[in-house]
Formats: sequence, structure tokens, C-alpha cells
Amino acid sequence: MRRSLLILALTLLLPGFVAAQQANRTQPVEGLRENRVRVHALTGARVVTAPGQAIDDATIVIRDGIIEAVGRGVSAPSGARVWDLDGHTVYAGFIDAYADLGMDDAPDNGDIGPTHWNEQVRAYFSTSTSLQDDEDRRSALRSLGFGAALAVPRLGVFRGQAGVIDLSDRNVRERIIRPNLVQTVAFGASRELGFGYPNSPMGTIALIRQTLLDADWYERAWDAYESSGRAFLPPETSEALASLESAAHGVQPLLFEVTAEEEHLRTRKIIEEFGVNAWVRGNGEEYKILDVLSVSRVPLIVPIDFPDAPEMDGPEDALDASLGELRHWYLAPENPARLAGAGVEFAITTDGLGSESDFFPNLRAAVSRGLSEDVALAALTTVPARMAGIDRTHGTVERGKVANLVVVEGDLFDDGAVIRDVWVDGDPYGVEIPARVDPRGTWAIESIEGGQRAQLELGGSLNRMSGSIVIGGAEVDLESVTARTEAGRVEVSFPTDAIGIEGTAQLAASIDEDTFFGWALFPDGNTMSWRGSRTEAASGGNGAGPARDVPSLNLPNIRPAMAYGRVSTPEQPENVVVRNATVWTQGPQGIIEGADLLVRRGEVVEVGVDLAAPRGAVEIDATGKHVTPGLIDPHIHSGTDGTNESGFAIVPEVRMGDVVTHNNIWMYRQLAGGLTTAHIKHGSANPIGGQNVFVKMRWGGLPDDLLLEDVPKTVKFALGENPKRRTGRYPDTRMGTYQIIADHFQAARDYKVRWDEWERTGDGVPPRRDLRMEAILEIMNEEILISSHGYRQDEFLALIRLAEEFGFTVQTLQHGVEAYKIAPELAASGVAAAVWSDWSSFKLEAYDATTYNARILLEAGVVTSLHSDNSQLSSRMNWEAGKLLRTGVSEEDALATVTLNAAAVLRVDDQIGSLEAGKDADFVIWNGHPLSQFTKAEQTWVDGRRYFSIEEDAALQEQVRREHAQLVQLVLQSRNGGADR
Amino acid sequence: MITNENATMHSMMNSGRIAKRGFALAAALTLALASAVQAQVPIPAPRQSQPIALRGATIHTVTDGVIENGTIVFDNGIITAVGADVAIPSGARVVDATGKHIYPGLIDAYSSVGISEIGAVDVSNDEQELGDFNPNARPNIAVNAESRHIGTSRTNGVLVTLTTPSGGLISGLSSAMNLDGWTWEEMTLSAAAALNVNWPNPNARGGGGFGFFGNQGPQEDRPTYEEQIRSIREYFAQARAYRGARAGGGFTPMDPRFEAMIPALDGEIPVIVSADGVRQIQDAIQWAQDEDVDLVIRGGRDAIHVADQLAELDIPVILTSTMDSPRRDWEGYDAAYASAARLHDRGVRIAISGGGGAAYTNRLPYEAGVATAFGLPEDEAIKAVTLYPAQFMGISDRVGSLEPGKDATLLITTGNPLDYLTDIEQGYIEGREIDMRDIHRFFFEKYMEKLRQKQRVIS
Repeated sequence: MRRSLLILALTLLLPGFVAAQQANRTQPVEGLRENRVRVHALTGARVVTAPGQAIDDATIVIRDGIIEAVGRGVSAPSGARVWDLDGHTVYAGFIDAYADLGMDDAPDNGDIGPTHWNEQVRAYFSTSTSLQDDEDRRSALRSLGFGAALAVPRLGVFRGQAGVIDLSDRNVRERIIRPNLVQTVAFGASRELGFGYPNSPMGTIALIRQTLLDADWYERAWDAYESSGRAFLPPETSEALASLESAAHGVQPLLFEVTAEEEHLRTRKIIEEFGVNAWVRGNGEEYKILDVLSVSRVPLIVPIDFPDAPEMDGPEDALDASLGELRHWYLAPENPARLAGAGVEFAITTDGLGSESDFFPNLRAAVSRGLSEDVALAALTTVPARMAGIDRTHGTVERGKVANLVVVEGDLFDDGAVIRDVWVDGDPYGVEIPARVDPRGTWAIESIEGGQRAQLELGGSLNRMSGSIVIGGAEVDLESVTARTEAGRVEVSFPTDAIGIEGTAQLAASIDEDTFFGWALFPDGNTMSWRGSRTEAASGGNGAGPARDVPSLNLPNIRPAMAYGRVSTPEQPENVVVRNATVWTQGPQGIIEGADLLVRRGEVVEVGVDLAAPRGAVEIDATGKHVTPGLIDPHIHSGTDGTNESGFAIVPEVRMGDVVTHNNIWMYRQLAGGLTTAHIKHGSANPIGGQNVFVKMRWGGLPDDLLLEDVPKTVKFALGENPKRRTGRYPDTRMGTYQIIADHFQAARDYKVRWDEWERTGDGVPPRRDLRMEAILEIMNEEILISSHGYRQDEFLALIRLAEEFGFTVQTLQHGVEAYKIAPELAASGVAAAVWSDWSSFKLEAYDATTYNARILLEAGVVTSLHSDNSQLSSRMNWEAGKLLRTGVSEEDALATVTLNAAAVLRVDDQIGSLEAGKDADFVIWNGHPLSQFTKAEQTWVDGRRYFSIEEDAALQEQVRREHAQLVQLVLQSRNGGADR
Repeated sequence: MITNENATMHSMMNSGRIAKRGFALAAALTLALASAVQAQVPIPAPRQSQPIALRGATIHTVTDGVIENGTIVFDNGIITAVGADVAIPSGARVVDATGKHIYPGLIDAYSSVGISEIGAVDVSNDEQELGDFNPNARPNIAVNAESRHIGTSRTNGVLVTLTTPSGGLISGLSSAMNLDGWTWEEMTLSAAAALNVNWPNPNARGGGGFGFFGNQGPQEDRPTYEEQIRSIREYFAQARAYRGARAGGGFTPMDPRFEAMIPALDGEIPVIVSADGVRQIQDAIQWAQDEDVDLVIRGGRDAIHVADQLAELDIPVILTSTMDSPRRDWEGYDAAYASAARLHDRGVRIAISGGGGAAYTNRLPYEAGVATAFGLPEDEAIKAVTLYPAQFMGISDRVGSLEPGKDATLLITTGNPLDYLTDIEQGYIEGREIDMRDIHRFFFEKYMEKLRQKQRVIS
């Protein structure tokens, strides 16, 4: 970095430019015009005209910012300034497709005027029209070889327009190449702008969806207004929505910044839903989803901000290092190579780097990990040029293109290669200017009066020189040495005791390549003139260091890319028969001993004794074992990014299904405990929360693979202490909770009335699609089923009665610590309940808990299941059911609370929950009675695929432990400088 | 509507399938209903007034094997005889326990029963005194004999708890409590069974209390891990100096905190150090060696990494996390489940406790049961919740096994009390036949009555 500061300082030494093209400038010249030569000839260099194409000993002619000629044997035009670049390589100037140039896009006192109700929607902002990029950042980027960049805004969800600018020091008005090229979007809100809605990943997606709909509506609303002859009051005005129209209609690109592997997938769902023209700025984890990226092509920009090694100060740190993190640390530099290997085209950005000085080391690390130099160069030149639509002018070194060039001493990809100059728009910017004179070497000098001879040895680095002098027959170290390379001067001081004078002599000399002419001031006050010549040239220099030893580790590509991830989906045998087990069908067949279970292509065919199996069926001997349906948990929170969207009290437009993550170690642990399906709930911060999602434990799949197909939509409601305790947000009481729910039910009815009326008459401003109101309508139509969090009988009863007033039924109560108190009412109203086995007394509303809750509900005829609301608990739901035995629930009923009833409480019991013909082949093989505390799951099957087996797990545990140890060793070696990843 | 169809279907399924014991229970409840609804939580039992002989049971003595078809006799609260061929004293009440199993009452080595009622209601909690050093905080005198969690613990077999305060660096004393009695006084089995040190967290600065380094306020002003260890060492050094001064001739004013530490300094009671991380455990061992105190580790999540040291120095561990999650992604799903078995295999003495709060003391049997599922021998799992905690806490002369001379604190069950498949039928504490009703049963009885009233109306 110290060197970079020097470089920056040197850059400023070059004169500023005032462009000569007076005809194209609006600003009058003050003082005298400055007409420097704008014709240059760069000669003798190896020119890489495009990735994979080079001309040795070529000449580039530049005139007025444009390349006039390139080739070997091209002669410099008269009047051209000639640059001898022997030993250098010239590349096209780089283009950064995602540059944060320090744009100050924060509103000073909030946004002013009709922008958008949500502060995170800033689509009206434009980096081009607000261009005030940071000079230091621009210069730093340029010093890395970049001549142009897409300047992106950094705040908000809809962040605004990004434009392509050049990175010269010319006037701001002359540097905009393509204004407002793309709209930019992020999957998270900026806290700088506020803490309101959205404050969760799923809330953000809801806002993105609603805003794209609004942008479409906005145009139509205004058209209707204008074409009516302004016959009614105008629709609202929003600069943000107006700016988004083109993007919302799939014309202008929408550039999504993703910060996680899953956000790539979420981007694709938005593309599918809205037909937008998307680009993606990746996050370096693309190697994990090559299968997705190589199929659906979206212009991709990847960073090379490879993560630092995890801290490893002691053995405890090693224990605590997660395998996922270690793997990513090792594999991140391979991301570009793996992308290229999968045929995915990408641009490389400097964005995300902690320091500019990491750029070339990281780029070279990517190359050493398999990225071809040509692809790397393309990712910096031709690819971003094409993305930005500037490939006619930028990206290669060709006649007619803008003269953006990078001049490198040696080859760009060699360690220690140095960028000498970067040319932008035909003007040179010095980066690392070579020392004009190098004083290092050996000089033989003598005093001009005669009498004294000396030999001066100068070494060290130019910034920090050292040396010695042989004088009077003795060799002494120099006390100081300073080189003034631009001036051509060297200053040394040395002790003179050897020549009989006590003290220090100071000598200053003018030097060039061979000659030395100087004078010295001696301790006695005398001066002495010296001259001499160089007898030996400097040695060393800026050579490359020794090549580093890169140990290689063969890490298989697994999904998820963490401990226990799978190399591939388990196969689904055509037929499977489990023999001679105690089979708990949880259906009309009850419990059958010595029974067989036959499965075909993921579905249950039959349970019975001595079944004939088709030829080639996979046979499993389960003698002495028990087989049950896969366990089901109607209430967990693991497996999504985020739990609560608390920005509003009412958020049914928010969908947990938008933020399912497969990077969820719990899924594997839950499989190990026999769980095959779970219902992931929105949190309890809202009277009407978000929509929940069903997942199957298809460990190793991507989020969409995990979703349970053809199931009802459900929504979270929450009553009692949780939704009323948000300070400063209505409601604060159970009374208010009731009222805000009731008001929204009524509002949705009114919304529908307005829509119906407009569809009938077509009069007035077309109504806007409101995802929140639409969701509430679906709730009231029972297309979205309510599963309501709550504890006390009063709050549940109030909600049930409210729903009944509006003509519908609450599907299920969850937690329901006091559900037993209204068991007859629930049974009469047809409300199901999912409760805990024994949770109690952790807060006031949980104090009247009883372990007999499920028993009483079952006795009353309420469809009753257990649930966990806890990741760990959900990995042992059979034991939760076991707890019911001591309250007098029968064994089969107890198991039903975590199988068939758990499906029935959410109306998915037509697919799962029992081992009956036609249902999903989700089952568990237990080594004993499934409700015994002494029993564990041996195999867990989902869709007729074996996702867990206890033997496979033992091998996996060993493999995981070994891989963890190997990666820890690599971290330790890299830390000791002995190895890089 | 599908909802109603489902409800009806399940109603039919459920009513057809009430278990045998469900019937028995329901019948008993109908008879007892009137009085049961009036009786809030269980009523403490009177002193044992005549000898009792439980006959014909499989007796799990824990210290002396399993006796088939055995008899156990106790009088005045004390076991007088156990064996296959035992003379039944005249005047004894004989209980036929044929086909049943008898086990010692389970002991929870780490509990907050009686001093914590409702988690999120601060005023109902008396677990944590102000400040870093509260060696004299003694919970038995704060135990609420009316706590709902006493009854619910007993019905799942837990008859003795080591009720223990929390927080600070020295949290206080553990009191061994029998879970039956009208007052804390009657319940107290051992007022000061152990001194509790709460080992600091190496990865975070101290918080709360008022330690030597004044650990409230901004993060950077709070004491570091090393500073907190230094203040524990310093506190023990001061206590030791105090003990010397009090034993010496001159006048030393009484200090309630240091005074409470003397039994631990003298090795009369153990020092229980709460430590989960491997660094915490290792550092606590070194500290206890330097202090020459009788160390028990509580927590022990990472104890497997120093198992050999624990075995070599014979330091017992109270595991509080057999049902916890693995803390690291690479650890096996069964890391916690199997931790007891793995420590046992390496020769470490272990007790098992839940540590999940007062309301969850009733989960203790399952915390030990899971260890059995994952490799701990069944008899060792029983010892881990009976004999071993009694030994670690110095109360094994009273409880923990079925031997003549010990308290008649025991369970009659249908099988291994650690298994869900087993029912706990009756408990005795010091020979008193305890009331097996609890708040859970109370609500059951009350709302089954509602169901009867309402569904009678409905049908």
C-alpha cells in the first residue's frame, strides 16, 4: 500500500488536461487554451489486441483519443509523441462492471418531493446525473488498469440508475458514456435510510414484487387520467415509479446485487414472474450453483474478494471453524475458473475488495487456480464492454476504438508485473513511473584535486538505500544514503575517521547512467570535489518472487456446500420393499407386525404380510425393526433466511417460500431424527404475519427442490404477547390485535368492491393490484389457510368468532397452550390444533400449560398434532409424541400427532402422514419401538429415496472430520506463509 | 368443508383408540373428580406412621444389583431391608407391587425448582442475586413450596433436586431439596450441598454484577476473561485468608460471603464449576488444582476433548446438554446425544441433568434416556440420575440407591423410568407416600369436566 500512495502522488504530477475539442464543449475557456499534442505512437510493445490475440513489437497510433492504427511495422506519424515501450505489454483498458465510486446518494434531509412512500425505493436516483465520484477512488481504480466503469448507487432496495462513465480526470460532463444504463436492485434494505418496512429478506422481496406491479400500474393510471381528458383527480405522482416503467416492462435491465447463493435463485424467480431483463452482480459463491447458472443465462458480474482465512489462534479456534466456511475459503479463488469451466460468461469487478492492492494478487490466484488468462482478460475487457453496450468503442485495442490502454512491464499475469501507465481517452496517466536514474551499483570515485580515492557501493531499495564506502584503505558503512532519481542526484554521509579526521563527511553528487560528479563537506569545514564512474550496475530490481507452493485439495462439489452436503441426489429405485417389520401405517390398517412395505417410484403401493415384490426391487430386511410414516412438524423456523417481517403489523403479502435456504444443517439433523416434512412459519411479530411454506427434507436439493408440491397456502397469524409488544406500533393490547385484524378483513372486502366496480365500468383510474389485500382476500376465501400463533383461550376464541363473522374458518391454532380450555368450541368450529408436548411457564401466557393438552383435544375430537417451534426438537419428534403416553394417549394416537394428524392440521394429509397406497413414500426405519426413548432412526426415506442411513452417517462423520482437519492444516500453512490456497 | 370432515374422522379414530391406561385413568378420575378439582396442587403427605413393605417387585437397588420378585421395607422414612427373601415386620402395611419395578427417586443435580416460576416474569424468579460474588446465596430458604413445578417434577420421577442459583462468578450454594413438604424447612435435605462457580466466557467480556473490575457499562470497560479468572482466584485467596484469621486468635469481624465458602475450602462440599467450552473446562481444572478444591464440572459440552484429563484426575461431570444441538456444523447430529456414552467409555464419571428451567425438571428422565439410545448402558444411565449425583453432592448417605439405612425415597414404575413407555405410578419421599396429582392433572380433570358438560349439550 505504501507503494500505491507513491503511485498516486506521481499521478498528480502529470498536468491536468483541458480537452482540445473546443467545438464539443459548452464551457468557455478561461485564460489561454492549452493545446498539447494528442497524437501518440506507442512503439516496441507486445500488444494484446483482444483476449488471445497479440502482436509482438507493434506500434499503436493514437489521435485525439482514438486509436488510429495498430500493428507491426506501423510507423509513427509526424508530430506524434513517441513512447518506447520495448519490454512492455499493452492491453485494452479494463472496464469495471460494478464500481462503487463513492457516490454520495444518501438523501440529506430525507427525499424531497413526490418520490416514493418507501424510503428504500430510490429508482429515481441516477449516478449519471448526480455524478460526483470520489477522485481518490477513481484514481485508485484507474491505477489498476480501469478506464471505464459502471457507476452504481449503493443505497436502498431499488437503488436507482447506474451509468457507464470513463475514469479520466476530465470534466464531469465529458465522462459520461452511457447514462442510466440499468436500474439497480438489492435484496436487503439499507439501514442508513431507516428501519421500517421491509426489515427482512422476505419483506424485501414482497416490496420488490409490489413495486414492479406499481410501476406497471403507474403508467396505465396516468394514461387513463390523460385520456379521460383529466376527468377526475390525478393518480399519485412518484418519480421512482416513473423511472421504473421501462425496467418493469423488461426493457431496461435490472441489475440485482446478490449477497448469497440463494439470491441468484431468487433473482431467477423474479425474472420468471415479471419477465424483467436482469443482470446479476454475484457474490463469489457461484461455483456452488453452476448447474443453475449454466442453464439460465443472465449477464453476470463476479467479485474476486476472496475471504480471509478463519482465525486460528488455538486449537479451540480450529474446533470452532465451520466446515462450510473453511471450504469456501479454500474454493473461493476457484470460483472464476469453475464458472468458466461450466461455460458461464462473466465480468470481473473490483467491487468488494478490502483494498485495491488485493486486486492483482487475487486475479493471479484465480488464474493459478485454473482460470485461463484469456478468460480473465475478457472478464475485464470484452465481456463488460458487451454488457455495457460499449463494445464498439471499448474492450479491445483496435483501429477506431477509444484509446483506453494498460501498459504493463512484463506480462500482466506474472507475479510482480508492474503497470506503468494507464491511458484513458488517449491521455496517459502514469501509475508506477520507473526511476529515471538508478544510483545503485558500484562507483569508483576520486577527488578532483587528487589524493583521495574511494569506492562507493550503493544498494537496498530506492526508497530505503544503504551502502558502504572504501576510503583510506578501510571500508565503512554509510550513515545515510538518499536517491533523488528525478533530479539525478545521490546524497551520502560517512565517517571519516579512517582518513584521520574525526567526524562525518557529507557528499552530494549528480549522476547519470555512468558518471558521477559531486562535492563533499568534511568535518573540518573543507570541501572536496569528486568525480568518478560506475564500475558495476545495480543488480536485483523488481523481479518476481519465488513461485509459491500451492497444495491442492480435491474437494468434491457438494450441496449444500457444507458439512454433510451431498454429491448427488439419492437415487429413487423403481421398487423398494421393506420386509418383516412392525409397520405403523397410521391409516385404516393400523399397526401390522411382520409386515412388508412396498414402494414404487416414490409412492406407497401396499402394506401387508408376505407381499410379492416386482423383480429387481430393492429388498430391505427390517426384522425386529419398526417402520413408520416420515415424521411431520407443522411449525419450525429453520430453513429460511429471516423469520419476522415486523415493519408493518399486517404483512400477509410476505412469503417465507421466497426465502427458503438449502444451506441449513438442521435439515440433515432432522432427517437423522426421522423428520421428512416441515412447515416453516413466519414469526409471531404480526397479528397477520407472512405466508408459511412446506418443505420436504430433500437434503442436497436447491430451495425450489425442497418445496412440497400441490399443497394449500397458509398464513401466520399471531395473538397475545408477541404481536402487541412492538413499541410504537399498533396494537398494544389484545383488544387492538382483534381490531386491526377485523379492519383489514373489511378493507380487503372494500378493495374487492372497488375492483369489481372498475371491471364492470372501466371508469376512472384503474385500481392498483395490492398484494396485501389480495392475500387477505385469499385468506377469507380459505385459499390461504390461517395457522395462528397464540396461547390463551380468549384470544383464540375471539379470532375464531371474528373469522366466522366474515364467513370463514380458522384452520389451525398453533402453540395453543390453553387450547384444551376451549376444546369443545374448537371441535364445534372445526378448528385444528398443533400444540407442544410439554412446553410451559416460559412466559405468563404459557403458565396454564398442561401435558394433557393434546389428550383433552383428542378426546374432544379436535384434529390435534404436536409441533416443535424449535430446530432441535424437530429432529426428535417421535420422542415428543412419546411424552403423551404418560397422559394416557394410546401409542397409535401418540404417533399420529407427529404423522397423520400433523399432516391433517394443515390439510396435506391426502399426500403424506400415513403409509397408504398412493401416498408419498416418506418413511422411517427405527431400531425399536418408535416412541421409546431408547430408540433411534436407522433410515429415513423421502419420496422413495433414502436420504439418511445410520451407516452412511458414520462414514460421513468420519469424512467430514478428515476434511475439516485437512482444511485447518491448510489454514495454518497459509498463515505461516508457507502455502496459499 | 374438509376441516369438518377431518375433525370428524379424527374424532372417530381417537375415540376408538383410547389406551388401556387411559381408561383406567379416566375411571379413577371420575370417582375422584369432586375432591380433585378442589385440591389445587398436590397435598404434602404426612410422616410415615407405620412400616411399609413393597412386595413382589423388580427392585433396582443401583448399588447392589437387581432383585427379581423382591421386597423392600421401610420405617420412619428409612429403608430397613431390601431383598428377595425379607421378613415383613408385624404391623407393616404391605403393598403388592407384583410386576412393578422399584427404583430410587431420580435426582436432578442442577435445577431451579422452587426459585423460578415463570421465565419471562422477572418478579417470579429468584435465581440470580446482584453482583459477581454471592457464595452465601443459599436457595433452600427461598424455595416456594407451592411452586407448580414441584408437582410436575415428581410425577415424572424426580424426587430430589439440587436447587441452584445462577449468574455472576460465584453464584451461590446448591441446596438439596426433597420435593415434598409444607415448607422449605421440611423439604431441605441438605442446605449447602455445593458451592457454584460460574466460569467466565473466554470469547466475551464479563457483564452484569459488580466484580473487582467493575463489570458494568461499556463493553470495553468490562473485564476480560483473564481478568475475571484473576478475580475468582483473588476472591478465593481472600476467603482463605479470612478462614485463617478466624481460626487464629485475634478478632476478625464475620464476613457472610467468606464464611459461606469455608466448607468448600475445607473440602467438605464440592465446588461445581459451570463450564461448557473446552478452554473453560481446561482452565477450570487448572484453577481447581491450584486451589485444591473438590471439583465437579457442570455443563461439559466439550468435555470429550479433555476426557482423559478428567478421568485421570477423577473429576466428575454433570452433563446438562444430552439433548442439545451440536454446536458446530461438522459435528455429528448425535454429538450431544452420544456425549454421555463417549465420556463413560473414556472413564469419566458423569451425572446427567437437564438444566432447562424449573418447568422442565420433569424432562430429566428423558435427558438420561437419550444417552441410552446412543450407547450409554442402561444401568449407567440410571446411576447418572440417582447414585452419581448423590455421590457428587455428598448426599449419597441419604439418597441415590436402595440400601438399608438410606431414605425411602423411591419410585414404583411399570419399567425403566427413563423411557416414555413406562408409567411412574407412585413415589415415596422419606417413606411418605406422595400425592401423584399435579397442576397438569388438575387442568386435565377440570377441562375434561368442561368437555363432559359441553359435549353433553352438543350431543
